[in-house]
Amino acid sequence: MNKVTLKICMGTTCFVMGASDLQELTDIIPEKYGDKVEVVASTCLDFCSSNTESQAPYVMVDYDVISKATVEKVIDAIDRKLKNGQK
Amino acid sequence: MFIDVDCAQEKKYNQNTYGDYFLSKRYPDSGDLIAVLSDGLGSGIKANILATMTATMLLKFVEAGADIKTACEVIMNSLPVCQVRKISYSTFSVAHCNEDGDVRIVEEGNPNFIYISDGKVQEPEFTVIDSDTFKNRHMRVYKMKLNLGDRLIFCSDGVTQAGLGNPELKLGLRRSGLIKFLLEKIRSNPEISSNELSRFAVRAALNTEPDRKAKDDTSCCVIYYRKPRRALIFTGPPYHQDKDNEYANEFFKSTAKKAICGGTTANLISRELKIPVRCNNVRSVGKLPAVSEMDGIDLVTEGILTLTKTVEYLENGFNDKEKNAAYDLMQFLLSSDCIEFMVGAKLNQAHYDPNLPIEIEIRKNIIKKMAKILENKYIKKVVLRYI
Repeated sequence: MNKVTLKICMGTTCFVMGASDLQELTDIIPEKYGDKVEVVASTCLDFCSSNTESQAPYVMVDYDVISKATVEKVIDAIDRKLKNGQK
Repeated sequence: MFIDVDCAQEKKYNQNTYGDYFLSKRYPDSGDLIAVLSDGLGSGIKANILATMTATMLLKFVEAGADIKTACEVIMNSLPVCQVRKISYSTFSVAHCNEDGDVRIVEEGNPNFIYISDGKVQEPEFTVIDSDTFKNRHMRVYKMKLNLGDRLIFCSDGVTQAGLGNPELKLGLRRSGLIKFLLEKIRSNPEISSNELSRFAVRAALNTEPDRKAKDDTSCCVIYYRKPRRALIFTGPPYHQDKDNEYANEFFKSTAKKAICGGTTANLISRELKIPVRCNNVRSVGKLPAVSEMDGIDLVTEGILTLTKTVEYLENGFNDKEKNAAYDLMQFLLSSDCIEFMVGAKLNQAHYDPNLPIEIEIRKNIIKKMAKILENKYIKKVVLRYI
């Protein structure tokens, strides 16, 4: 079974717009999903500069981009992904 | 050659301020450096004012283009003499050096400086100029050519007279005692920095006092010609994207210590040179994104927030609990002599979104501010290049 990879953007815009609050995911995710989901940090994913209106912070769940990410939104996306049996 | 200069000081025991004053200024355009050490008569506030005045006037004078000898003559002739003691209000040593090793030194009243080359003390030639107005006042003028590895050590009489009057050292440490300590130290650590050697000399002087309390203001200034430690910082993507590859290669090939400040910048170098960026820490450290890693690069940090914090640390000192990326960057900068910034001029529009909870500074402005502090407060040589 492939893992779901969660990538948190640690670029400047995302960091000030709340990526620093997403850190609790590093505690929640292993507890909730065990080793099914891997959390990694990333340098700027460059989504902020491609949108006219910034939707930071950005998180990627595999190849899906979540804008204005919150802990709840990220968990929902992971749940959907696992439920759909894609993984 | 790089001129490494530093001064260590200790104030007279029970005084609340220093009676010696050290001042130095580097001129990056010409590669010149002027250093002045002045010892004010007495101690405490009065001495401090006298020494500060003398040193500041001398520096301004030489800086304005006056010949060092002329400047010193004017100061020597105009400094008043104490009515009671009949000695001058302040003494001074001034050195005007350039990167090629040409040095001109004038000293008046301070102990003769020590010139160490090849692990030995040399006694350079000098000329004596007497004061027109005061009989007992004269200055020594030196013109010298220094080589790589040479050192000049200036000190106030607090160093040479340390321990004066105690039974074992009736005449104090004296210049010969200081030389002995210095040569021993240099032998055991031939590349000792000016910062460490000046501190060592002051400590050696204090240790000569039976109670380790300074009986007079004690200062030691070291000028050391050495190979520069170079650092190169790449921050911000270049304005013309088609030049990314050229700049990335130039950066990577440099023999200097390297740092990247900026996630996008790290990404572009990673893309152009095919070196992966490793972000090992999702957690922020000390309120900043954690450092990343790249093979061949000494330090990789986030951009604006880290740079802004680093400027704060450079200005006010590091007071936070956790050693974060800005602390690492500060250490990186302070352990270098010549610092070059490659500043990418491309703006990230998202940084100027009015919805951001904090104001994000413009990269160019932060770097300019940082360069000024590094030059003025830490006497570094800084080069800014906008790309």
